Amino acid sequence: MPADNRLLVLLAIFAVATLVGLLWKATTGRAKRIKDGQTVDLQELGAVKNGQAVSKFGSKVTFLQFSGEFCSQCPPTARVLAELEAKTPGALHIEVDITNRLDLARKFNILQTPTTLVLDKRGVILSRIAGSPKTTTLESELGTFAI
Amino acid sequence: MSNKQIDPRGPRFGAAITTVLLAINVYLALDTKTLPNAFWLLTVITALFAIGAFFGNSRHPYGWIFKTFVRPRLAAPKELEDAAAPQFAQLIGLLVAGTGVALYLVVSPGALVFAAGAAFFAAFLNAVFNYCLGCQIYFGLKRLRVIR
Repeated sequence: MPADNRLLVLLAIFAVATLVGLLWKATTGRAKRIKDGQTVDLQELGAVKNGQAVSKFGSKVTFLQFSGEFCSQCPPTARVLAELEAKTPGALHIEVDITNRLDLARKFNILQTPTTLVLDKRGVILSRIAGSPKTTTLESELGTFAI
Repeated sequence: MSNKQIDPRGPRFGAAITTVLLAINVYLALDTKTLPNAFWLLTVITALFAIGAFFGNSRHPYGWIFKTFVRPRLAAPKELEDAAAPQFAQLIGLLVAGTGVALYLVVSPGALVFAAGAAFFAAFLNAVFNYCLGCQIYFGLKRLRVIR
């Protein structure tokens, strides 16, 4: 095959790979609105924060992060959400490991970790974010609570 | 169960080198005159994947280069990642590149380019977009309880 054609083939593979990568980047970390009014039951969740059972939602918003074993994006996501919680009054960040909680994985249809559910003050799920949340996504989620 | 934690930028650095090598490999594999060269290069790449798959990224030549020359110039990583998934990704690389070598020898020399192209695709996504396809396969297999 002449050199020009070979370079074209290489360029074509490069272009397809770039397209796939950009598509993935564009769709991951975005919030999907949930309208079915599903509510989180804290008792069932059994979440623990700083050694104590979580019994109340955040007064304005709760970021419920489902993490799993061997999840490379989970620690960065937890860090980002913890920082957000620290500087946002009324925000609560809870992290739940679903490695041994298949019941929760099924109930909330968790297909990948991290998956973050954004809850209002009554624990109603307003949106879900699969993958590491984008900064802009988190900002607009907070915006809906007028924080 | 190994819970060894590594700097996530290490495997990504290795993927960058692999991407370049595989791009050259695809180029060589597209012409019958340079196809034998492509075969030898792919054999080397396959051997490197094997080192990564069985000894881990840290004991890989690229891991050594990263630790010695690259990481000292970088700030400390914000988080570490579990070494298991990237190591499994090396196994996937080994299987794909190894298939290319096998195709060349057993089926048709010209078929090598498809395996090289597939491996390039995955290495590229890892290096450029930090998307580790092999890691995702690992997590999927774990979730399906195929591996423990």
